[in-house]
Amino acid sequence: MADTAIKGKSVKETQLPLDQFGEPIKGVSLWLDAWRRLKKNRMALIGLSIVILYSIIALLAPVLPIHSYKHQVLDHQYLPPSFTKTAGQLLYERQEALFQQAAKDAGFEAMPAEYVQALEIFREQLATETQEFDGVAVKVHERRYYLGTDGLGRDLLSRIIYGSQVSIAIGLIGTLTAVMIGLIIGSLAGYIGGTFDYIAMRVVDVMYGLPYMLLVIIFMAIFGRNIINLFVCLALVSWLTVSRVVRGQMISLKNSEFVQAARVVGASPGRIIFRHLVPNTLGVVVIFATLQIPNFILLESFLSYLGLGVQAPMASWGSLVRDGVDAVSIYPWMLFFPALAMTIFLFSMNFLGDGLRDALDPQSKNVL
Amino acid sequence: MTKYVIRRFLGLLPTLFIIITISFFIIRVAPGGPFSREKALPKQILENIEKKYHLDEPLIVQYGRYLLDILRGDLGPSFRYKDHDVNYYILNALPDSMVLGLMSLCLALLLGISTGIVSATRQNSVLDYSSMAVAVIGISIPLFVVGPVLMYIFAIRLDLLPTSGWIMADGSWKTAIMPVATLTLPYFAYLARLSRASILETLRSDYVRTARAKGLSPSVIMFKHILKGALLPVVSYLGPAFANIVTGSIVVETIFRVPGLGIFFIQSAINRDYTLIMGTVIVYSVILLIMNFIVDIAYGFMDPRISYT
Amino acid sequence: MNNDVILKVQDLKTYFNTDDGIVKAVDGVSFTLAKGETLGIVGESGCGKSVANLSILRLIPSPPGRIVGGEILFHDRRVLKMSERELRALRGNQISMIFQDPMTSLNPFLRISTQVTETLRLHQGLDRMQALDKAIDTLRMVGIPNPEKRIEDYPHQFSGGMRQRAMIAMALSCNPEILIADEPTTALDVTIQAQILEIIKELSVRLDTAVILITHDLGVVSGMCDKICVMYAGRMVERAPTDDLFAAPKHPYTQGLIHSVPRLDRSSRERLYSISGAPPSLIDMPDCCPFHPRCEHAMDICRKKYPDETALTDKHRVSCWLFAESAAGGGSRG
Repeated sequence: MADTAIKGKSVKETQLPLDQFGEPIKGVSLWLDAWRRLKKNRMALIGLSIVILYSIIALLAPVLPIHSYKHQVLDHQYLPPSFTKTAGQLLYERQEALFQQAAKDAGFEAMPAEYVQALEIFREQLATETQEFDGVAVKVHERRYYLGTDGLGRDLLSRIIYGSQVSIAIGLIGTLTAVMIGLIIGSLAGYIGGTFDYIAMRVVDVMYGLPYMLLVIIFMAIFGRNIINLFVCLALVSWLTVSRVVRGQMISLKNSEFVQAARVVGASPGRIIFRHLVPNTLGVVVIFATLQIPNFILLESFLSYLGLGVQAPMASWGSLVRDGVDAVSIYPWMLFFPALAMTIFLFSMNFLGDGLRDALDPQSKNVL
Repeated sequence: MTKYVIRRFLGLLPTLFIIITISFFIIRVAPGGPFSREKALPKQILENIEKKYHLDEPLIVQYGRYLLDILRGDLGPSFRYKDHDVNYYILNALPDSMVLGLMSLCLALLLGISTGIVSATRQNSVLDYSSMAVAVIGISIPLFVVGPVLMYIFAIRLDLLPTSGWIMADGSWKTAIMPVATLTLPYFAYLARLSRASILETLRSDYVRTARAKGLSPSVIMFKHILKGALLPVVSYLGPAFANIVTGSIVVETIFRVPGLGIFFIQSAINRDYTLIMGTVIVYSVILLIMNFIVDIAYGFMDPRISYT
Repeated sequence: MNNDVILKVQDLKTYFNTDDGIVKAVDGVSFTLAKGETLGIVGESGCGKSVANLSILRLIPSPPGRIVGGEILFHDRRVLKMSERELRALRGNQISMIFQDPMTSLNPFLRISTQVTETLRLHQGLDRMQALDKAIDTLRMVGIPNPEKRIEDYPHQFSGGMRQRAMIAMALSCNPEILIADEPTTALDVTIQAQILEIIKELSVRLDTAVILITHDLGVVSGMCDKICVMYAGRMVERAPTDDLFAAPKHPYTQGLIHSVPRLDRSSRERLYSISGAPPSLIDMPDCCPFHPRCEHAMDICRKKYPDETALTDKHRVSCWLFAESAAGGGSRG
C-alpha cells in the first residue's frame, strides 16, 4: 500500500507515515527549515550570490587573466579607466592634448611641425616598446586597464581583486578566531558558573569599557604594522560580544527542561554541552558571525586608512581607498572603484546576515 | 537610589585605573622613544632630556609619579610640542570634538528613531523598504569613504560647501554640514534599524493588544505605550555608540581638517609623544566612562522593573 | 431576533496565511448573546476559541490573519463593516476584553493608575482627578485592598491574582455591555482562580454585563455560565444551555470531554478516560468532520463532508452526522 503513489503526491511523499487524515507527515530539521525560509528571501539570496561571487574571484585571483597587482609601470601613471582604449592610445591622446594646449598657448593655430613629428615618434615608440614581466617580454602599451591605474602605474582592477583576498581573509579569519574564543569562554562560563564565570565576566566588563580602538591604534603604531599584529589586535577585541551572547544562551538553556530530561536519561555533561546546548547557540553565533565579518573588514580598512594596516605593495580595500582619497579631486576613479567594490560586498553580507536571522528565528520574521 | 548611583560610579574607577596602567606600560615598553626620530643628539643632551622627563628612573617609579600627577589633574608636559603642556593642547582641542560628536549623535537619534517609527508602522510598504535599504547602505559604507565622496560632490564638483575649516574656529556654519553629516550617517542607520526592530517586537506584545482592546488610538498607543519599552535597546546602544563616535570622529576630523582631539591623537601616536598619547587616552576614557554611567542610570530610570537596591 | 440579543455571530470565518499553508482557525462559527447572559466557549488549545473572540473586536493581526467570511452584529450594527473610529469607540467602552496572562497583558512601564484611567478619560471624557477617583472605586469593587495607595504601583509590584483583578477593573470601568474573558484563570493558582471567577460573576450580575467566558476547563463553565458552546478544530460542534449540555451531551466530542473529567465518586483504581488521538493540524484541512479520526461512531460520510447544524431543540444545536436530518447516502456504521 505504501508503494502505490497517491494521486497528486510524489512517490517519496507517499512513503511517509500518514496522519489521521491520510495526509503524509513531513518532518523538518531546524537547518532545513531555515534554508527553506532563506530561499524565499530574495534580498538575502542576492546577497549570498554576490558574496559567493566575490569569494570565487578572490580565490581564483592568481589564475585569472588580469595584470599583476604589484608591477609598476611608471609610464602608465594615473590612466583613467577604459574598456576600449589601450594604454598606448590613452598615453598618445594625453600627449596630443598637451601639445595642442601648448600650441594654443603659444599662439599657433595649428600644431607646428616639430610637435607633429614628436607625436609620430611617440606613436612608434608606443607600438613597439616592451617590458619584461617575470621574464616574459610584453608589449606593455597594448594593455588595457579597465578600471584605470594608480599613482605607480599599477592596474586598479587587479589591485582591487587582490585587495579583496586580504580584506575577505581578514574578515573571515578574524571572525572565526573571535567566535572560537568567545564560544569556549562563553560556554564554559555559562555552564560552569561560579568563580570562573564571575572572573570571566568582570574581564569582559572591563574590556568593554576600554576604548579599544584607541589601544589598537597605539598598539599598531608602536609595535609595527604587519598583518600578524593586525590579526592579534582585532581578534582580541571582538570575542567579547560572542562570549556574552553564548554565556547568556547557556545560562537560560542549561536549566531548561530538555536538558533536565537529558540528565535524567543519563547523558554526561560533555554530551549535554556539545550535543544539546551548543547547537542551540549556533543560530545566534552564525548570525553574529555574518554580521561581524563586515565589521572586521571595516575595522581593517579603517586601520589601513590611517596607515596602520597592510603595507605596500600588498593592497586591501582600506589602503586602496586611502590612496584614492588623496587623489580624489583629480583622479576620482581611484576612490570610486575600490569604494564601490567594498560597499557592494559589505552590503551583501549585511543582507545575508539579516536573511539568516529571519530564517533561523522565524519569530522575528518582520524584524530587521 | 543614591546608593545605586554612587555604587555604579565607584565601579568606574577600577576600569579607569586599568586603562591608565595598560596605556602606560604599552607605551613605555614599546621600542623607540620620543626623541629617537630626530637626528642623533649628543649623549650629554640626551641624558639631560631623560633626566628632565624622568625617563631614566625605573618604570615603577615613573608610573607612580604619573599617577600622582594625574590625581592632581596634571597630564604632564608634551614631549613633542615644547611650548605648552598636554592639558593645554587637550583643552583646546576637546570642545571641537565634543561639539562634532554630540551634534552628530543627537541628529542620529532624532532621525533614526523617527525613521524607525515610520518604518515600523508602515511595515513592508515602499517607504519601509526604501528607508531600510538606505539604512543598510549607511552601515555598509565606511566613514572614510562617505567623507571624501561627499567632499568630492559638494565641495569640489558643485562648489557648494567649503572643503575644510570648522565652525568653532571662525568658519561659517557651512563648514559643519559635511563633517556632521558624515559622522551621523552610520549611527542614524543603526538606530533606524534598531528602533524599527524593537518597535515591531513591542507591537506584537500582549500589552499592546490590551491597549488596542481598550480602544486607544494608534498615536496614543505608539507614543505612550510602545516607545517607553521599545526605546530601551536604543538607550543601551547609546553606550557603545559614544565609544564608536569617539573613534569615528578621529576619521572625520582628519578628512575635513577639524581641529579636534582626533588629529592630535594620531599625530602623537606616530610621534611617540608619550604624555600626549596617554593624556588623550585618559580624557577619551573618562568621557566614555561618564557617558556609559549616564546611560546606565538613564536605563534604570526608564525601566521600572529594575530596583535600585 | 430576540429583543434581548445584543450580539449575534453568524458563520464567522477567520483564516491565517502562513508559510506552510492557510490555517482555518475559525471556520464557520455562530452563536448569540443576550443582555446579561453568560456564555461559555469551551474547547482544547488551538480550537479557535480565542481567535473567534478576537475577531469580534477585530483585533486579529492583519497580516497574516483575515476575517474572510460571516457576519457579526452588535445591536444590529455590522461590526465587520465598521470604520476604525467606530471600532475604537466600541472597544473598552461597550465591549471589553481581558486576557489570559495578566503579567504580559499589562504595560510594565506604566503605572496601574495610568492604565486604568486611560479608558475612563477616553470614553467618558473625565478629567484626571475624576478619572482617578472612579478608578480607585473600580479597584475597590474588584477587591483590591488599599486601592488609593496601590493604584500608583507598577504591574510587577502586584501579585498574579491582583493583576487580573486590575485587568477586570480596567475592563469594567466604563460599564460595557459585554465582557469577553479569554481564559482569565488559566495562568493563576487554583485557589485564586475561584476568587477571580467569583468576582466576574458577581460584577456581571451587579452591572448587568453579558460575559463570554473562554476556557478549556469544563468545571469553570459549569458553575458560571448560562449556556455553553463547544468548539473543535475551528468549528462549533455543539451549543446548549448548561444544564442541558451536561445532562444530555449529544456530540461525541462533548461526551468525551465530560467523560474525561476525573470524578471523586469513582474508584481511584479506575483508569482515567481520555479521548484517543490528538487534535488535528488546521493547515489545509480537508472537507470532513474534523473529529472523525477520534470518534467512536465515525461513519463514511463523516470523512467526506462537514455536517450542517441540526437543531435538536430550540436552544440545543449540534453538528454531527449522527443527528443530521438528511444523512445523505446513509452509509454503514464504521
